[in-house]
Amino acid sequence: MPAIRHASKRKAPPAGFTDIEDDLLIFSNKMKDAENETTVNVPRHQAHWKIFQISHQRSRYVYELYYDKEAISKQLYEWLLKNGYADAMLIAKWKKTGYEKLCCLRCVQTKETNFNSTCICRVPKAQMKEDQAIECVSCGCRGCASSD
Amino acid sequence: MLKSTHKAVAPPPLAEGWTEHKAPTGHSYYYNAATKQSTYTRPVAPPAPVTAPPPPTNPNESFLQYKGVGSLPSAGPTFNNDGSQGQFQGGRGGFQGRGGRGGHDRPRDSRPQPTDKPKTRHPIPGCEPWVLVHTKLGRRFVYNTEKDQSFWRIPDKLKDGILALDQQRIKEKAEALSKAKEPVDSGEAPGAAQRPGQAAAAEKTVEEGEAAEDSSEYEEVEVTDDEEDEENPAKRQRTEEPGQEEPIEFNEDDIAFQLAAMGQEYGLDPGEYGDDNMEEWEEGAEGLEMTAEDSAALFKDLLNDFGVNPYSPWEKLVEEGKLVDDLRYTALPTMKARKETWEEWTRERIKVLKEQRAREEKKDPRIPFLAFLQKNATPKLYWPEFKRKYKKESEMRDSAMTDKEREKFYRDHINRLKLPQSTLKSDLSTLLKAQPLSTLNNATLPSHLPPAVLADIRYISLDPSTRDPLVEGYISTLAPPPESADEGESEEAVKERKDRERRQKALEDRERHVAEEKRKQKKSLEFGKGKLREEEAEIARAMNITKKGLKDHLMDLDDAGKPS
Ligand SMILES: [Zn+2]
Ligand SMILES: [Zn+2]
Repeated sequence: MPAIRHASKRKAPPAGFTDIEDDLLIFSNKMKDAENETTVNVPRHQAHWKIFQISHQRSRYVYELYYDKEAISKQLYEWLLKNGYADAMLIAKWKKTGYEKLCCLRCVQTKETNFNSTCICRVPKAQMKEDQAIECVSCGCRGCASSD
Repeated sequence: MLKSTHKAVAPPPLAEGWTEHKAPTGHSYYYNAATKQSTYTRPVAPPAPVTAPPPPTNPNESFLQYKGVGSLPSAGPTFNNDGSQGQFQGGRGGFQGRGGRGGHDRPRDSRPQPTDKPKTRHPIPGCEPWVLVHTKLGRRFVYNTEKDQSFWRIPDKLKDGILALDQQRIKEKAEALSKAKEPVDSGEAPGAAQRPGQAAAAEKTVEEGEAAEDSSEYEEVEVTDDEEDEENPAKRQRTEEPGQEEPIEFNEDDIAFQLAAMGQEYGLDPGEYGDDNMEEWEEGAEGLEMTAEDSAALFKDLLNDFGVNPYSPWEKLVEEGKLVDDLRYTALPTMKARKETWEEWTRERIKVLKEQRAREEKKDPRIPFLAFLQKNATPKLYWPEFKRKYKKESEMRDSAMTDKEREKFYRDHINRLKLPQSTLKSDLSTLLKAQPLSTLNNATLPSHLPPAVLADIRYISLDPSTRDPLVEGYISTLAPPPESADEGESEEAVKERKDRERRQKALEDRERHVAEEKRKQKKSLEFGKGKLREEEAEIARAMNITKKGLKDHLMDLDDAGKPS
């Protein structure tokens, strides 16, 4: 994700930023921790899971503030996107039917997978064999179909 | 009498109809009341005749019953223990008259001879070929189904198994009793016992010789038992199996009750141990009524009270875990309900904040900034120094104000601090007088001055210690506020406050009640456990009696000397 430059060095954030500043800081710190955490003992494919998850959570946070709760202004929302506090591409997916809970963009990219299909986590739980626990390879998602 | 059996220990059982007596010389002689025969030669029960009565009777009669009879209180002393009489009789019996008269006329057959039959049969757990056979008269013996042997004396190796069996039987009985109120006879096919009987006979013949040592023991154990049996058949039958534990007043009803309770594995039902308890119980459970709205409102109260930021993500709230300890956290039953309520609350709260902000659009950031200046600004610092020193303070970073504005305020404020107090006072007075009565009146709290005052630099020029009395004095001279819509709002606020208090109280009531119930439950559980412990101990004691208690009993009697 892009580095977040300090607010003082650039145009001041729109009104309402102070309401969410602390929480965004928490996300940033978590992200930093995740980035610095050693992945020596973690399987290679899992190394990025935590980062994906935090990124997902933060995007979700911004998305809900704006679309669900109408807690932040359009200006602030756009400012947040511009400054890397949320993933505009992922949010764009969430607005589409069937992708409301999508975990990450990788999981819907068919080109990267072996079988030219989306990730297993996209399969609705109802279609899975009973209680088959899954964790998708790319982000550790345990299922993100809209019906789940 | 017991002594006598001790002495009589070694020899094999007498044949049917014969009794043993002591001659003055100390010799034993034998008398058959039926045939009126006496002899010094011990008439040993022949192996064959055993077949006549039902097999189980045989071991009884030939071994125990017979001897037992001989040592019955009524007969025993006369024969063996009572000095004078014995002597006399002995004298009489001193000669061995075949066909001669016996030394006494206590006809053995005058006694009612109980006929006993095997009634039930149970495999002894852990001692496989062995079964425990109960007779109609409540006696029991063990039978080896493989070797076809039976013993009245219970071999040590079987004792544990039999103990377990007894415990199980008592339990079953108790359960059956508690269930159906119909006494269950842990019975099995009575026919099964046919064999042990025969076996007993066989055993007798086989073991006749070697039984010598053993018999002492079995007599010790069983004879006593049997004596009691025969003496008190009624009693015996009444108490049945547990009757063996008679010494501690332990009847079947007790066992039934105790074991029914035990059977519940200590998962005691409240009310089981006291009806009054139960009444309170049910009454209590009905007492509280808390609606779903109340629960949600309580949770929202909690969120408000903890100053939860409605903009924060739910996960943060969960991770922090600050709310968990509060009673109101339990107002909602599940995390899902909490999250839903939280979401609802954030929407409401954010809306309120937005409205408030819209209303206070004019309540510019100047107010907190000026307050901050009043507290921290000093002529000793130039603006850049001040700015550097306090750059982390929120008042210095508020994006609603530019640094330029802040700088201007700072400079103005510092300059005004150099003005004489009188000027500052009159400036403040001018400021206050400029406020309309609707915002500043005699109901205004000094802590809630109108924004127009707070945002004015003139308000902060005077030190609060001189300023606040001036402000208060001025307010007290003012007229009451003009009629406004404010009152309705405050009424609403009052209602809201009352609602909140009611909810809180309901929750506390419920909690108190839950605690009370728990306490009661615990109490009754303790009570039940205590009771069960007692019962278990009693049962254990009772079981003990069957094993060794009789021995003790016997020794007691021994100690007591010769009872008459
Ligand atoms: Zn997924
Ligand atoms: Zn994914």
